[in-house]
Amino acid sequence: MSNRNDSVPHFWLHLFLVFMVLVTVYPILWVLTVAFSGQQALMFVDLPPDPSVLDRVRAVVPWPAQVSVQNFVDVFSQQPFGRWLLNSALVAAATTVMGVFLATTAGYAFSRFRFPGRRAGMMSFLISQMFPGTLTLVPLYIIIVQWLHLGSNYLGLILLYSTTAIPFCVWMLKGYFDTIPRELEESALMDGASPAVIFWKIILPLSKPAVAVTALFSFMTAWNEFILALTIMDQESMYTAPVGLRFFVGGFAEQQWGYFAAGSIVAALPVMALFLFLQRFLISGLTAGAVKG
Amino acid sequence: MRDASVGRTVAGLITALVIGIGLMSLILGEARRTMTRSATEQNAVVTAAAAADVLARVRDDGGDLQAMTVALAAALPDLEQLRVIDASRRQLAASTHAADLEAGDFPQRLKREQKGWFDQAKELEAAHSTNVMEGKARKDEVLLRAVAADRLEVVLPLFDEDQVTGSVQAVTVAVLPADASGGLPGWIPVLAAALLLLGLLRLLPGGWPRFAAGLVVTAVALYLHASLGADTLTNTRLVGEQSVADHALDVSSALRGRPDVDADDLAVTRWNIDRFRVGRATFDDAGLVAVGRVEDGFDRDRGRFRQGAFVLSLLAVVFYYWVATGWARRTGTALVKHRSAYGFVVPAMIGMILLVFFPFFYGVLLSFFNKTLYNVNQPLYDLWVGFDNYVSIIADTGVVRTAEDGSRSINFQNFYWTLGFTILWTVSNVFIGTTLGLTLALILNVKELRFKPFYRIILILPWAVPNYITALIWKGMFHKQFGVINQVIQIGGGEPISWFDAWYTSFFAVLMTNGWLSFPFMMVIALGALQSIPNDLYEAARVDGAGRVQAFRFVTLPSLKPALVPAVILSVVWTFNMFNIIYLVSQGEPAGATEILITDAYKIAFEQYRYSYAAAYSVVIFLILMVYGIWQNKVTKATEGI
Repeated sequence: MSNRNDSVPHFWLHLFLVFMVLVTVYPILWVLTVAFSGQQALMFVDLPPDPSVLDRVRAVVPWPAQVSVQNFVDVFSQQPFGRWLLNSALVAAATTVMGVFLATTAGYAFSRFRFPGRRAGMMSFLISQMFPGTLTLVPLYIIIVQWLHLGSNYLGLILLYSTTAIPFCVWMLKGYFDTIPRELEESALMDGASPAVIFWKIILPLSKPAVAVTALFSFMTAWNEFILALTIMDQESMYTAPVGLRFFVGGFAEQQWGYFAAGSIVAALPVMALFLFLQRFLISGLTAGAVKG
Repeated sequence: MRDASVGRTVAGLITALVIGIGLMSLILGEARRTMTRSATEQNAVVTAAAAADVLARVRDDGGDLQAMTVALAAALPDLEQLRVIDASRRQLAASTHAADLEAGDFPQRLKREQKGWFDQAKELEAAHSTNVMEGKARKDEVLLRAVAADRLEVVLPLFDEDQVTGSVQAVTVAVLPADASGGLPGWIPVLAAALLLLGLLRLLPGGWPRFAAGLVVTAVALYLHASLGADTLTNTRLVGEQSVADHALDVSSALRGRPDVDADDLAVTRWNIDRFRVGRATFDDAGLVAVGRVEDGFDRDRGRFRQGAFVLSLLAVVFYYWVATGWARRTGTALVKHRSAYGFVVPAMIGMILLVFFPFFYGVLLSFFNKTLYNVNQPLYDLWVGFDNYVSIIADTGVVRTAEDGSRSINFQNFYWTLGFTILWTVSNVFIGTTLGLTLALILNVKELRFKPFYRIILILPWAVPNYITALIWKGMFHKQFGVINQVIQIGGGEPISWFDAWYTSFFAVLMTNGWLSFPFMMVIALGALQSIPNDLYEAARVDGAGRVQAFRFVTLPSLKPALVPAVILSVVWTFNMFNIIYLVSQGEPAGATEILITDAYKIAFEQYRYSYAAAYSVVIFLILMVYGIWQNKVTKATEGI
């Protein structure tokens, strides 16, 4: 594309990019400012009754009137946010273990074996991705809460999250398993190894990168999920972090933006780091799934 | 069909009969147990009602309530304990319970730990006045519970004129109706007939005739069993009613002739009441059961059983087909041959079936009923409404409402408004996301542009932020009084905007939020595709004399297409289903105008608690998505090469 160089001066490109960067980072700086302001208000500064333009500019610049970590301290000591984080962590960790187990075994079977129902099974996984979340939400609510009595219970959420992540993970892992040469397994078969041994001793160790990506993906999905958690977890002590954060600013009670901002930063930092580390794999997985869907 | 051997046909027949008849017998057994239980309960109610009648009359006459209570418990064979609560005086008026007798003479003041009895009487009083006020039977006026395996406690209101002033608690020994299972068990003649017909199979040629004969035998056997079952049910019901009538006569004769009992007290039909204290009129004063009336009242239950039997018969026929055509054998062989493969798939498949596919079909099923929060305990088959839910969603086309004064307004709750808004929302978002993402990708692909890694990592950030956090941040920034966006407007000298008071400003707010979080995806996809275009292509284009625009048109765009088309398809589905942004930022304000289909379905389910209506709504959403999916498949042929 060197032929574009001479057409548009870099200055204008930089100008546009800088503008976009500002738009992109402003909300992030905003939440940082609210978090470090030490108060619950939406405003960074207290505006006088008849504010001048300068006052208003001051109210828009993302820098708090005084810098304080009080919100971070309070969100853990005054609010049950620590408990909510723990809930999220437990659910996400268990989801990861279960999701990876289910997805690796199924992905391996779809990759290595030819059996009646293979194609139907793979297609059904893909089609299930088309069900809108709320279509199964009502039945799932009835099943989990009213039939199984697993409302406000870790197990209910773990079961839901690990099954919703299955199709994507299975397809991703199948793609990876396909790239592992079969000769390795064939020689093991010659030596009399059973399929289970081959899977655990040969395939899984070779697929560490893909399994790691699947695990991180399952973890992130569970960590960030909002609707199911909102629907299933009724008791305040069983909220997950997303439901809890919304509780700070979504209800009819006084909105606590300081708690929300501080909590958001704590909840978002690990997944943002994970995401930036993972993005490459996720993008290839997503587009592969889309081409086939 | 060719290989419908005698052995397979017989195996199919036996499988079908075992499944069909077995499941039917389970249902029948359950239905008969329910009937026996309700007859037993009715017997307890009759005893309690007789006692309450006598006690109310004695109290009105100013007689000795405690003496009468003790006399009744001794006279009525199944009445074990009796207790009378006078709620208006907060007294325990009479009792036969040993603990109450030890506490002293009656009436006794109710103790703190006896408050439950007082509350119960008050509950009955409230139920009675509600029913009188509403003119219909809705609240239970007879309380019934099992206190032990064969002991039932009945609590009835005690009346003073038309006022409930207390309650009568009666503990009775269960009086069971006679066993109604007269005649042969239903399956014996069926099996005999089946075996007889089996002989015929040998005479028939293989293939279709033999298969059809087996099918006919299956169908006839199941039909016979179902009609015998329906008859048994009717019979059980009648026997149960007869037992209640006999019991009422027993109670009446136990009381007759006692000096402290009036002849007026002995109206057996008055004791035969349902849980709303409405007379059931299933037998007359002579204890003669009104067979016609009982059967009429039972028609619905029998119809329900017939429906169930029909469904089970279909299931049995499916199994017959499965086994008789040798399909089951092939399934079995495949299962054994590929057992390790199935072993690996089964855990994930079970999870998917239980928590994805079953809920999906259950959701579709629910959409044909009228299930709400208020009738969750009612059996589903009572709530069948057919396509009513769908009709009320689809057929209501009144998007524009005309008020009485002729002014027009939009009905934001209407399905077509929401659908239109959802499409507007999806198209605008995908357009913005794609244009912005593509532009940024083209810029970031310019060679020798400085700071590219820096720009790239910053511009990808919105994708990394969990979207519920993004949504809540923007909700804060759009706050009317304290939000920074209104501050910026005021710096420019404008008036603050109340963002969520008009649908178009509200739309702008959600659009802005979603645009912010969705462009990085497109940018990254497009950038990846751009970087994979080999430079030779541009060289070749230049050699061929193509200009800048032509190079873009004939080299860049076609190379982007394979990556961009799936990405656009994916983001259409994502945006269409983007629950969090709408639910958290605009919350549908104003008045549901900025609701998209999926948030609307959620609110119907979990704010209005109309589960079935929400299920139907979701099915409509699914159909829309499916039509879209089929259409885009046709357009892109994207399913090739699985």
